[in-house]
Amino acid sequence: MNYFVIVYYALLIGGSCLAAYFKRREIFLALFSLTLASFVMGIVGGQDALWAVSIAAGLLALAGGTAYAFREFLVIISGTQTAKALRTAPLTASFGMFVIFTYAVLGIFAPVIAPFGEGEVISQSFAPADENMLLGADQLGRDLFSRIVYGARNTVGLALVATMIAFVIGVLLGMVAAVKGGWFDQLMGRIIDVVMSIPGLIFALLLLSIFGTNLIILVIIIGIIYAPRVFRLTRAVAGNVVVMDYIEAASLRGEGMWYLIRKEILPNSTAPLIAEFGLEFCFVFLLVAGLSFLGLGIQPPTADWGSMVRENATLISFGEITPLIPAAAIALLTVSVNFVVDWMLFRSSGLKE
Amino acid sequence: MGDVTRIIITRLGLGLLTLLVISVLIFGAVELLPGDIAQAVLGQGATEDNLRALRTELGLDRSAPVRYFDWLSGAIVGDFGLSLLTQSSVTDTIAPRFANTLFLAGYAAVIAVPVAIILGVIVALLRNTLFDRVANVATLTSISSPEFFLGYILILYFSVKTGMFPAIAKLSDDLTFFELLERTFLPALTMVLVVVAHMMRMTRAAIINLLASPYIEMARLKGTPAWKVIARHALPNAWAPIINVVALNLAYLITGVVLVEVVFVYPGIGQLLVDAVTKRDFPVVQACCLIFAATFILLNLAADVGAILTNPRLRHPK
Repeated sequence: MNYFVIVYYALLIGGSCLAAYFKRREIFLALFSLTLASFVMGIVGGQDALWAVSIAAGLLALAGGTAYAFREFLVIISGTQTAKALRTAPLTASFGMFVIFTYAVLGIFAPVIAPFGEGEVISQSFAPADENMLLGADQLGRDLFSRIVYGARNTVGLALVATMIAFVIGVLLGMVAAVKGGWFDQLMGRIIDVVMSIPGLIFALLLLSIFGTNLIILVIIIGIIYAPRVFRLTRAVAGNVVVMDYIEAASLRGEGMWYLIRKEILPNSTAPLIAEFGLEFCFVFLLVAGLSFLGLGIQPPTADWGSMVRENATLISFGEITPLIPAAAIALLTVSVNFVVDWMLFRSSGLKE
Repeated sequence: MGDVTRIIITRLGLGLLTLLVISVLIFGAVELLPGDIAQAVLGQGATEDNLRALRTELGLDRSAPVRYFDWLSGAIVGDFGLSLLTQSSVTDTIAPRFANTLFLAGYAAVIAVPVAIILGVIVALLRNTLFDRVANVATLTSISSPEFFLGYILILYFSVKTGMFPAIAKLSDDLTFFELLERTFLPALTMVLVVVAHMMRMTRAAIINLLASPYIEMARLKGTPAWKVIARHALPNAWAPIINVVALNLAYLITGVVLVEVVFVYPGIGQLLVDAVTKRDFPVVQACCLIFAATFILLNLAADVGAILTNPRLRHPK
C-alpha cells in the first residue's frame, strides 16, 4: 500500500460521496462502480492497472476541459444567433470542432510547423526519438513527426477533394432527378442501385487495377463510388421539397429547372446535406486511408497516414507504438467529424426521444 | 404461402439481374483499359510479335461480346479462366482461400451477432443515461477507426506485449479445430469490434423507433410490466429490423475482411485480390470482384427476404 493507491481510492470514494450528497445519481453510479471495478483490477493487474485507469481518466478530463474551453471561446467570438446554438452543443461536438480546427491548422501551415521536409532523409532508418526528432525516424530515416504533419495536408486534402467531387455529382444528379422526374429519375435510380450493390472498397480495387494508381484518377474513382449515396439522400430530400406549393408557383411563373434548383430547392435542403457531407467525408477518408494502407492510394514519397502505418508496421513487433500514431490520427479525425455530424443531425431532425 | 414464395422469387430474380449487370460492368471495366490486356501485361517495350502471340493466346482477337459470354458461361460453372501470371486455374487458387475467408467471417459473426443484439437492446432500454452516452462514444470510436488501426492495437497488446495469441494467422492442414480458432482469434476479434459497434447502433435505433410506437404506449398504459412489454409486444416486431441489421452487417464483414486479412497475413480471398490488383492479374481481379459482389447481393437479398417473412405488412406493398 503506497501513497498513490491511497490517494487513488480516496479521490474515487470522496468523489462518489460528493456526487451522492448532491443527488447526481448517474455520476455517483459511474464513480462508485469504477471504485468497485478498481478493487478487482487492482488485485488482478496490480498498481499498473490503476495507473492506466488514472491516465485514462486524466486524458478524458483533459479532452473534456479543452472541449469546454473551446466551446466558450466559440460562443464569445461568434454572433448571437450562432452563439445560442453553440451553447447547447454537447462537449463531444465541441471536442470534435476543436480537433477539426487543429487538423486544419496543421494541414494549412504544414511547411511552417514541420521541422523537416516530408521527403528529407535526416537520420538512420528507425532511429529512436532524440532532441531533433520528436517521434524518431521512419524506415528510410525521415522525421516521423514532420511526415505526420504533412500527412494532415495530403491525406485529408485528398479525401476532401474526393468528397467534394462525390457531392457535386450526387447533388446535381439528385436535384435534376427530383425536378425532372419521369424516365430520367427511373434510369438514375436503377443505375445507382447497381453501383451501390458493389462494395465500395472492392469497386475501387477493380478500377484501380485497371487505371493504375494515379492521384487524379484515384480522386475521380472515389468520387464516383460515393456519389450514389449523396444522390439517394438528395433525391429524397429534394423530393419532399419539390411537391411544395412555392415550387409549383415558381414553375408556373415560368422559371427554368436551373433556377428552381439553385434558388428554391437547394436553400431548403442545406441542413441534411451538410450533415451528409460530414458523414460522406468519413467514409471517403477511411477508404482513402485503407487504399493507401494497401499500397494502392497515395504513392511514396508523398507523406500519407495510411501508407505510413504499413511502412512502419515492422516496429510494432518490437512493441513500439509509433507506427500507430498516423492510424490514431485517422481515427481521431473521423471520430471528431462524426461527433459534430451527430450533433447537427440531432439539431436538424429534432429527434428528442 | 404462395404469396410469399412469389415475392421471394421476384426478389431473387431482381438480384440475379443486378448480378448480371455487375458482371457486364466488371468485364467491361477491363475493356476500358488504355491499350489492351496484352499491352498492359507486356509493358511498353513489347514487340509487335509478342503482343500478337499473347493476344491470340488470350483470345483477344475475338470481339468483346463473344469473349464476355465465354467468360460468363465459364463463371457460371465455376471456371474463371487462367491467371495471367502463374498460368494456373483461377478457380483452384480462389476456392481454398474463399473457404478461409468464409470461415473467418463466420467466426466473427458467431461472436458478434449475439453480443451486438443483446448490447443494442440494453442500450436502447437505458437510452439517455450515462451508460448510453458512454456506449455511444465507444461505438462511434470503433466505427471511425480504420480496421488496420484496431488490428495493430490488438497485435500490440495481445501478441507482442502479452504473447497470448499469435500475431500472424498462418494456416496449415494439420491444425486441430481449436488451434485454428486460436490462430484466427485476433483477426476475428478485429472484425467483431467493428461489426458489433455498427450492429449495436443500428439495433438501438431500431428498438427505440419501435418503443415510440403507439401500441407500446398502450401496453404501458394498461399496466403491463416492463419486461412483458419487451418480450410480448416489442420483440416480435423487432425481428424484422434486427434481421435486416444482421444481414447488412454481414455484408459489411465481406468488405472489411480485405484490410483485416492484409494486416494479419491471413490466406483469404481479400489478400489475393489486393495482390492481384498490385500485379494487374485481371482474371483473378475479375473473379474476386464477382464473388464479393455476389456475396454482397446475396446477403442484402437475405435481409429483404428476412424482413418480409417476419413482417407480414411488407407482403402487400402499397
